Amino acid sequence: MKNIVINILLVTSILLASCTDVIDIDVPYAGPKLVVEASLDWQKGTVGNTQTIKLSELQPYFDDTTPYIVTGASVKVTNDSNGRVAHFIDQDNGDYVTSEFIPVVDQSYTLEVVYNGITFAAREILTPVVTIDLVNQSMENGFDPNVIEVNIFFKDPLEEENYYLTIFQERKELLPTLLDISDEFTNGNEMRIFYEKFTNEESGEKELQPGDIVDIELYGISKTYFNYIRLLIEQNNDGGPFSTIPASLRGNCINIIDPDDYALGYFRLTEVDKRTYVVE
Amino acid sequence: MRHLFLLSILFTSLLSAQDKNTVNGTITDIRNGETLFGASVYFKSTGIGVLTNEYGFYSLTAPTGPYTLIISYMGYDELTREIVLDINQKLDFELTESTNELNEVILVAEESERVDIKTPQMSVTTLKIGTIKKMPVVFGEVDILKSIQLLPGVTNNGEGSSGFNVRGGAVDQNLVLLDEAIIYNSSHLFGFFSVFNADAIKDVKLYKGSIPPRFGGRVSSVLDVRQKDGNNKNFELTGGIGTISSRLAVEGPLVKEKGSFLLAGRGSYMHLFLKLTEDLKENSIYFYDFNFKGNYELDGDNHLYFSGYLGRDVFKFASSFGSSYGNLTGNLRWNHIFNEKIFSNLSLIYSNYEYQLELNAIQFDWVSDIINYNLKYDFKYYISDKINLDYGISGIYYNFHPGVVTPTSETSPINNLVLDQKRAFESGVYINAEQKITQKFNLQYGIRLSGFSRLGGEPLTLYKNDQPVVYNEVLGIYEAGTPIGEDYYDIGERMKTFHHFEPRISLSYQLTEYSSMKANYTRVAQYIHLLSNTTNVTPLDVWTPSGVYIEPQLANQYAIGYFKDFKNKFLNFSVEAYYKSVENRIDYIDGANLIANNNIETVILNGESRAYGLEFLVQKVAGNFTGMMAYTLSKSEQRAPGGKAGGPGINNGDWYDTPYDRTHDFSVTGAYRFTKKWSFSANFVYQTGRPVTYPNGQYEYEGMSIPNYSERNADRLPSYNRLDLSAIFVPNKRPDNRWKGEFVFGIYNVYNRMNAASISFGQNKQTGLNEATRTAIFGIVPSITYNFRF
Repeated sequence: MKNIVINILLVTSILLASCTDVIDIDVPYAGPKLVVEASLDWQKGTVGNTQTIKLSELQPYFDDTTPYIVTGASVKVTNDSNGRVAHFIDQDNGDYVTSEFIPVVDQSYTLEVVYNGITFAAREILTPVVTIDLVNQSMENGFDPNVIEVNIFFKDPLEEENYYLTIFQERKELLPTLLDISDEFTNGNEMRIFYEKFTNEESGEKELQPGDIVDIELYGISKTYFNYIRLLIEQNNDGGPFSTIPASLRGNCINIIDPDDYALGYFRLTEVDKRTYVVE
Repeated sequence: MRHLFLLSILFTSLLSAQDKNTVNGTITDIRNGETLFGASVYFKSTGIGVLTNEYGFYSLTAPTGPYTLIISYMGYDELTREIVLDINQKLDFELTESTNELNEVILVAEESERVDIKTPQMSVTTLKIGTIKKMPVVFGEVDILKSIQLLPGVTNNGEGSSGFNVRGGAVDQNLVLLDEAIIYNSSHLFGFFSVFNADAIKDVKLYKGSIPPRFGGRVSSVLDVRQKDGNNKNFELTGGIGTISSRLAVEGPLVKEKGSFLLAGRGSYMHLFLKLTEDLKENSIYFYDFNFKGNYELDGDNHLYFSGYLGRDVFKFASSFGSSYGNLTGNLRWNHIFNEKIFSNLSLIYSNYEYQLELNAIQFDWVSDIINYNLKYDFKYYISDKINLDYGISGIYYNFHPGVVTPTSETSPINNLVLDQKRAFESGVYINAEQKITQKFNLQYGIRLSGFSRLGGEPLTLYKNDQPVVYNEVLGIYEAGTPIGEDYYDIGERMKTFHHFEPRISLSYQLTEYSSMKANYTRVAQYIHLLSNTTNVTPLDVWTPSGVYIEPQLANQYAIGYFKDFKNKFLNFSVEAYYKSVENRIDYIDGANLIANNNIETVILNGESRAYGLEFLVQKVAGNFTGMMAYTLSKSEQRAPGGKAGGPGINNGDWYDTPYDRTHDFSVTGAYRFTKKWSFSANFVYQTGRPVTYPNGQYEYEGMSIPNYSERNADRLPSYNRLDLSAIFVPNKRPDNRWKGEFVFGIYNVYNRMNAASISFGQNKQTGLNEATRTAIFGIVPSITYNFRF
């Protein structure tokens, strides 16, 4: 909801004779900090035993060399009820892979990463998600009636507070589009999320054309991850003069000895429904 | 009310021991009957004098005898009258505007703009509309808010931001009044224009500190804008046609010389140009406003005024999104002169600020508003040549509707949601004395007692441990507290009440005939707050009353200054130093979601702010060349420790720069009258860049490069500077010609500097490389406006 509003305000201010330019500027560097991308997503209809965790380090903002990967760390995920451990094997490229993971809905798991002798731990619960009922396209149901949008429909459960992350990746685009959604205004209703692109000469983005392929993912996420990803998305869509003052994103991976020291990134456990749609 | 009247009688009897008499009356402009605010009325060579009040009223008391009474007002011919003050007399005077002779003092700057040496009132500037009209501005549209930003200590948050900041204070800390009605949003179109139509305005007074006790409710400043009354002798048409907007005002007598009216309207039409473009033709952005004033003199002692204002901003983005917001005010005022020494004004005011958002894409309609009803009764008692008293009471009833969300169709996924309606009552009673202690030493002292009650008619959520927001040690973030129940308060029941004493003291000491030192202490309480955690105020930001979980802001301001008039050169100089501290300044937890939040207390922390600075001002007020140069060196910072919520607070509880901190703020403006037909003016502004938060690294997540941020506002945007020029051409100036017109040619931002309104960081969508993108709102903007008067 807030994203939509911020985007609209940004568009409005741009309408009023403003200019954007890419410029050179100096920014500070905070030094290397551990980044843990531990997204254990259980795709509906699969066993979900193969999972990848990526470890890297914070690098200078304008440094465009390949990511500062982290090797030699030890990574494991434990099921908090039965103590079963899934060990993640170092692939020597920043990825740590397991095929031992057993996903259970509403189960709590603990992640432990040992990096340079320091242990970071995080705990989360695997959040289920409903299936996507329908995927279709339309023109007049988005922001611009002349542009195609892809719609997904799903029924939000009434009895609980639900949070979702949707990721749309149009295969010709370099970057995905993330949307954080809660059922605050729509609890219990049939929800529709739409994905619309606009032709923008400056960024090179083009609206959806027939033949475009869109990969769609709908994740059920916890409330704490929702707060995290909402901030991340907001800060990433830096809305110009109407953006909120950005702050460091605190994930859930904390140094067990020094709680003020935390890793960037997040340990999430989700159920996900995936679809692929070809635009007509 | 009755007590106040009895008090006045008591004072009169105490002081009637000596044989003194009073002369009083109203000073007006002979051409159109407009009352003159701030005219000097004095007895020659006695040191007895006073300035007329907002309604042109004066009262002078002196021992029996003959006097030469002089009335002077910059830009008008001085009037002299020999009187014998043997009994109380009522004398009204009409002044004539000076006709322009090239070498004489010209009406480019008026009397009250000169720093007044004797009065203890400091940190205040009066701007006459004539001066404001000579300054070059954006799109050739005369703008009061842009003009006050040329004064020291006044800035705004950059192009595209609404409101203004005074001495490092936030936008909601300014009390903006239009004929005494509160205006909640003083800008159109995100700050590009102000809501004040210069054709309807008589004058503007800005109190940056040293706020007199008759004002209360906002801690940083008072912007008192007064509308013209309307020509009560002849009909007059004024207007202007510009490249972006046009205006028309009509005024005239209701009953000749007894009553008059003024109706002014203004609208922008640049959205029509959008229709010519392919991409943007479904969009529109426009504003319009109407000002109305009517007044009628019932008899010599009673005068009625009615003022109204309606303004709207409308945005439409295709058929999918629409937004509108604006102020509506109406007030009725009754001036009553009890006797030659007591002037009173009773006002009944209605004010409504509404904002609305429609998202057709998700069939969502949101309306939010604030309504207030205000009753004020103010008295001024001109006791003697040594002491004046003013006192009065005020009551404001607020009704806040923070938002009603309705689905616009059956198929909308949106549910109905009504945010709790909030009600409150704010009261104030004050008394203030202006006393001449010795020939050189003047003192102004007073106190305001303000009260605020948050009224019921809504539920109050109760939280575990009485913590609506709490620090989560494990995650190291602030989260909403756990609700444990609700109390329901009926309408009219008081949920929470606050009272504050607000002493206000000013003194001035005359060092020489043309120079003085002044000092001041002001304490003010503010009970309603504009919640905004974005860099710039948006129309969706919510005004919230104090209550169980939100404390009123309390400010203490200290200022000291030195003022000098160089009378022979029509120059004046002033330097002021100030220190202001504000308790209970609200700050927001990281990522606070304020929109449609029914429980604001779960995302805010109580903090404090402080600002201090040194302001310099040099003005040349008469001659062919007039102008002003202002420089401010200042700092404005805030912090919010964890407090009841626990934890380290925002930014670790450390002080950080507020978004309106500007270390250096320099501006110079000048106007030169070249010939009878041509005059030129220029502005130059330089400000240190706004504090911002830059990323200090990047990392990969979900295939994207994510910027990492830490300390708030530790970096700065590049400096803001620009030069504006304008030329005014008056063709065929025949004095007997009833139609008067002029062309105003302006260029805003002459050297086309792309001042960064913001810098955003992100990945280039095609290369994936990180880049910094600067958004600048205006480059060079030329404009032509034709102004006329008939």
